[in-house]
Amino acid sequence: MTAQLVAPADITSRRILAIDDEVANILLLRSVLEREGYTDIHCLTDPTKAMRAYIDLEPDIVLLDLMMPEVDGFELLEAFSRHDRPAEFRPVLVLTADTTLQARRRALSLGAKDFVAKPFDVIEVGLRIANLLETRVLYQRLNSS
Amino acid sequence: MPELRPSAAPLRFWADRPLAIKGLVFIAIPLAILFAALASLYLSSTAEERAEADVRRAFAIQRDTYQVHALLSQAAAGVRGYALTGEDRFLEPYSVAERELAPTIQRLDEAIEDPGVRNEYATLTNLVDAKRQGLGEIVRVSRGGEDPASSRAVLEAELSASRDVLERLGSQVDVIQRREAVLLDQRRARVDEVRSRFLLLTAISALLGLLGSIAAVYLFSTGIVRRVRVLEGNAERLAKGERLDELPDEADEIGRLAQRLGRASALLRAREKELSESEERFRLVVDRVRDYGIFALDTEGRVATWNLGAERIKGWQASEILGRHFSSFYPPETRDFLPQQIIDRAIHDGSAEDEGWRVRRDGTRFWANVVITALRDGKGTLRGFAKVTRDMSERRRTEEELRTAQDEAIAASRAKTALLSRTSHELRTPMNAILGFGQLLEIDEENFAPHHRSAVTQIMKAGRHLLSLINDLLDISSIEAGVSELAIESFDLHELLAEVHSIGLPLVKQSGLAFSLDLPEREVVVSADKRRALQVVLNLIGNSAKYNRTGKAVRLSSRIEKHMAIVEVEDDGPGIDPPDVPRLFTAFDRLGEQNRSATEGTGLGLALSRSLVESMKGKIGYEPASTGPGRLGARFWFSLPLAVDATTPTSTLTPIEVPEE
Repeated sequence: MTAQLVAPADITSRRILAIDDEVANILLLRSVLEREGYTDIHCLTDPTKAMRAYIDLEPDIVLLDLMMPEVDGFELLEAFSRHDRPAEFRPVLVLTADTTLQARRRALSLGAKDFVAKPFDVIEVGLRIANLLETRVLYQRLNSS
Repeated sequence: MPELRPSAAPLRFWADRPLAIKGLVFIAIPLAILFAALASLYLSSTAEERAEADVRRAFAIQRDTYQVHALLSQAAAGVRGYALTGEDRFLEPYSVAERELAPTIQRLDEAIEDPGVRNEYATLTNLVDAKRQGLGEIVRVSRGGEDPASSRAVLEAELSASRDVLERLGSQVDVIQRREAVLLDQRRARVDEVRSRFLLLTAISALLGLLGSIAAVYLFSTGIVRRVRVLEGNAERLAKGERLDELPDEADEIGRLAQRLGRASALLRAREKELSESEERFRLVVDRVRDYGIFALDTEGRVATWNLGAERIKGWQASEILGRHFSSFYPPETRDFLPQQIIDRAIHDGSAEDEGWRVRRDGTRFWANVVITALRDGKGTLRGFAKVTRDMSERRRTEEELRTAQDEAIAASRAKTALLSRTSHELRTPMNAILGFGQLLEIDEENFAPHHRSAVTQIMKAGRHLLSLINDLLDISSIEAGVSELAIESFDLHELLAEVHSIGLPLVKQSGLAFSLDLPEREVVVSADKRRALQVVLNLIGNSAKYNRTGKAVRLSSRIEKHMAIVEVEDDGPGIDPPDVPRLFTAFDRLGEQNRSATEGTGLGLALSRSLVESMKGKIGYEPASTGPGRLGARFWFSLPLAVDATTPTSTLTPIEVPEE
């Protein structure tokens, strides 16, 4: 269904940054993404290095856990939006086991573009990532034309 | 003035007459007496005059009888001389007598009234006539010159007869004279009597006049002056507010005035009594008020009155504090300026309120709320201040405690939320890896041997069960901890139930049952969290589908009862064993453990449903359903509050206006 607008290769070649302090979750994400054909995947289990990676790697999408030691996802969301240029669409998909309404609202209000509760459906997560990346690609095309 | 109570009827009658009549009587009494006196004087004087006339007439009669005698004597003497001498000059007295006698006799005839005298008078006139005849005969004889001898003899005889008549006349005159003298004496005596009577009458008239005047004055005094004086006194007493002298209720103007005065006094007294009673009541109320210190200050700020509340709050007895300046109630740090500031504000704005520390007599402090009101009289002159003091220490403490409790509650709520988030995170995170990898394995299951495939299926089944368990547990915990936010809204319950029916239909059919929806025509708007309500209905439908092994149908219906919408899920299955009913809604108390392998469930469904329904102010329950003769079934029901008005908020809070002081 995305084929009409954006070629699948244009999406799977995009750079993904996954941040989760739980190794098992990072491994799962990587498996899901590789299954979907993504090639440029960067994973982090240490959130203190997340900001550095965000600046250095300039990912097209960030998969972010909220509850992490030392620096939590909310702080990172704030930091990302401070760093980004105003007219830039760089989506953050929050993946969290905290399903409380407060957490959901707070994450979305801090700039997260989507929210998926853990444990997640692997297919659904793949589709959401693809959707967000497609939007980014279209956005970039719109800006450059 | 007890003599002013005319009890006798005449006096009362007199008092009742109008003032005009009384005035007329006061003037009429002396006037009448005066007229009577004048009349009697007049009568007396005419009587005296008449008596005096009688006397005069007596004198006249005496004089005239003498005159008659004298005229006849002189005439007789003259005639005799003429007879002797024949000289005409002797006839002079005779002619005088002839001329004078007639009028004299005439006068006598008119004057004589006494009958005795009139008899004598008749004799006298006969004698007078005889004499005159005799004298006339002599004169005729003397003048005739006929026979001197015979004439002499006749003359002699006539002379002698005349002399005789004259003598008898003389004696008759004497008789009349004597008689008249007697009458005269009588008349004089009568005159004297009349005169003395007249004197007496005059004296009596004067006395009566005096008495009449005294009576008039007395009546005037008793009828008017004294009563007016009493009235005056009463008016003065009325002005002073004293009790009035009682006056009989006479019907004249003064009486009426007195009655009106009396009524005015009674009215005034009643009002005064009412006022003083009300004042007394007010004073008692103010005195007895224990929770408020209510007292008055004079214009200088000195304490003028003191009540029980003030004594209780501030610790001063009235006798100790009266006359002292109210700055004594202030702690040293504010004593020099704050009292004056408050007073100034009260003078400027009419009243002033302040809240702060005050000191009691023993030096301890209390937190006070103080209202000072300037008291002004009708002309706006400042007369002093009313001061109401409340000891707010207790309230302040309560407020502080409340604040602390609130803070603690908020902190506790935050802690609970944090714990639930944490727990949710900690429990779900491993589930994510388990279920995520499991799902990946499921997707690739054609690559596995059958026994591996079956292992993956079991892992996924157990994992999903564990996840639903975790979800239900977290749901119940968050509802019971009060941190779960409900999205209460007004919505049509029937729409929701129709949705449930369409969602649940495949599931129920899968169990080989019929699923019917039975709703009344009209829409039912309830006030609840739509998602939660859906969760509850689905849970009940799921139970019916799962446990109704023997029956044929599940029925979903709704009705309205006492401001609540009731949703019923009924089946024709075996129902619940009565001993199990009380444990139905208890967590982890799955019934029919022997069927565990046959049915899957967390054991939390009904407990969660109860928490959800109760959090939406509804109730949940179970009762056996009789679906036919000899057939039992299970009927689960729950209620949700009807929306009071679908278009307005369910509750309207009206802010209470607190008057500013």
